[in-house]
Amino acid sequence: MARSLTPYESDAAFETRLRKRISKLILFSTAALVALLFGFPMYFMAVSAFKAEAEILSTPFNWLPQEFVGFAHYESAFERAPIGQWYFNSVFIAAVQVTAAIFFGAMAGYGFAKFHFRGKRILFALILSIMAVPFQILLIPLYVEIRQFGWHNSYAGLIVPGLLSAFAVFMMRQFALSIPDELLDSARIDGASEFRIFVYIAMPLLAPASASLAIILFLGSWNNFLWPLVVAQDRNLWTLPVGMTVFSQPYRGEPSVGPSMAVSTLATLPVALLFIFFQRYFIEGMMVSGIKG
Amino acid sequence: MIGLYRRVWSEKNVIARRQYWGLIFVLPCVIFFAVFFLYPLVTGFYLSLTKYTLLRPPVFIGFDNYANLLKDRLFLKSISVTLGFVVGSTAPTVIMSLFVALLFYQKFPGREGLKLIFFSPLLPSVAVVSVIWVVLLHPSGILTNVVRPLTGKAEITWIHDITLSPIVIVLARIWSAMPFYMLIWLAGLTAIPQELRDAARVDGANRIQSFWRVELPLLRPTAVFVMAVSTISAFQGFALQYVIAPNQGGPVDVNTTLGIVIWKYGFQFFRMGDAAAVSVFLFVCIMVVTGTQIALGRSDRYSIN
Repeated sequence: MARSLTPYESDAAFETRLRKRISKLILFSTAALVALLFGFPMYFMAVSAFKAEAEILSTPFNWLPQEFVGFAHYESAFERAPIGQWYFNSVFIAAVQVTAAIFFGAMAGYGFAKFHFRGKRILFALILSIMAVPFQILLIPLYVEIRQFGWHNSYAGLIVPGLLSAFAVFMMRQFALSIPDELLDSARIDGASEFRIFVYIAMPLLAPASASLAIILFLGSWNNFLWPLVVAQDRNLWTLPVGMTVFSQPYRGEPSVGPSMAVSTLATLPVALLFIFFQRYFIEGMMVSGIKG
Repeated sequence: MIGLYRRVWSEKNVIARRQYWGLIFVLPCVIFFAVFFLYPLVTGFYLSLTKYTLLRPPVFIGFDNYANLLKDRLFLKSISVTLGFVVGSTAPTVIMSLFVALLFYQKFPGREGLKLIFFSPLLPSVAVVSVIWVVLLHPSGILTNVVRPLTGKAEITWIHDITLSPIVIVLARIWSAMPFYMLIWLAGLTAIPQELRDAARVDGANRIQSFWRVELPLLRPTAVFVMAVSTISAFQGFALQYVIAPNQGGPVDVNTTLGIVIWKYGFQFFRMGDAAAVSVFLFVCIMVVTGTQIALGRSDRYSIN
């Protein structure tokens, strides 16, 4: 690429080429600066979990731990709080909620897409309008309702209100629209019941299509903060997001920055893995759902 | 045989069968939303007209809760705090994320890798974001040292300072929200047909003219979407203020958003009626934003057809 390699280039051509390269260099350095700025806190989190407590806040910032403490902060985090229990709660709640939302969402989406019944349009419009109502509006009455059911401070209270989301119904309907009617009709002619057709023909077609939906549902459940905060009073019922905020306070007078970064890393790890392995679905899902908004 | 086939599969019969099964498939979802959406939505309005402390049944008191809110210092304060948070975080997020999208729309070596690093704030939950920022905002921590050449101070109490703490919470919010909006902008930019840019180029427009005259007008739906979504989500600001700010929304209420007020009234003071009334107020605010968004021409990606 150096000038000597293209000896017959005119000065004007050289100049445009040079200008182009300079502009690329400027673009690259600007982008690098932006990426550094936005990536830094995440790097800070991951690396601080391996630094000695005093080194985390020391100046200048060490890009690598000077005194590598191994998993000491992770261990002390587990000693201090029932992290394992919180991790289990978060995983368990997310697993149940994602599975249920995929199944019932597929069922409703299939019903809306492939059948014609009276009141269909109005019902679907109503379900779409749910997406416009933020959860905070429902917080108080939903809590009161859950209390009436006797579900506050229980797994039922944590899980049941999140078993289905309007967004799942909306997405599944979009996917179900692309199932060919001929396929369903041929199964009908073969004498399959409608429920069998749903389970054995529609579901297998809908499930893989819903990878990005599943990721979004998982993120919604995994990251949920407000609802578990108010429903779970018992420490052992807390989820990771609720429990980990304890670590932003000093523990018995000692600073607990290291453990708090260790727990943060643990809480982010599943999401990071999803991002790495399913990047396309991850980004696609975020964009259609507006979840991070 | 053919007669039987005709009888079972006659058009009328099929439609009747379908009607029936469609409803069955939709039913669980309809029941669910009736119980866990419609019912609480309606009782929310009702509760806002009652005095209810969870101990005794709600007592109907008409619009007293609303009348009291007009004199409520914390509530009135929370309106200005919320508006500050909305404006302070939305405007920079929307504009800066457009710039970053434009930057990553260009071609240069290393673009994909840098974009991934830029996306990293998409990963942590808002609780993790809060915990990380508490550390970054340590009085003698990273941020203090970054601005030290300007301030000369070795210690800055970011989150306990009544002026600084709303600003740093906005900063945390911008950091965590930008990549998402950048994604939306980038998708909008990518959707613009290249021919339009080429046509503008042929007509003698330079890069900047092409952006202002061709791309920006075509990005209008994206702009409406980005502004509405970020405004609506900022109106619901809660977790950052709950975790980062001292005493949930402090110091001295400078970070007490409407969301924090709902939580405080509901779960600290057990004044469910007041909390419900604040929820209704927040609902109206958000509906105004949603209405504006529809009026400005929302893309019809959520329509039934």
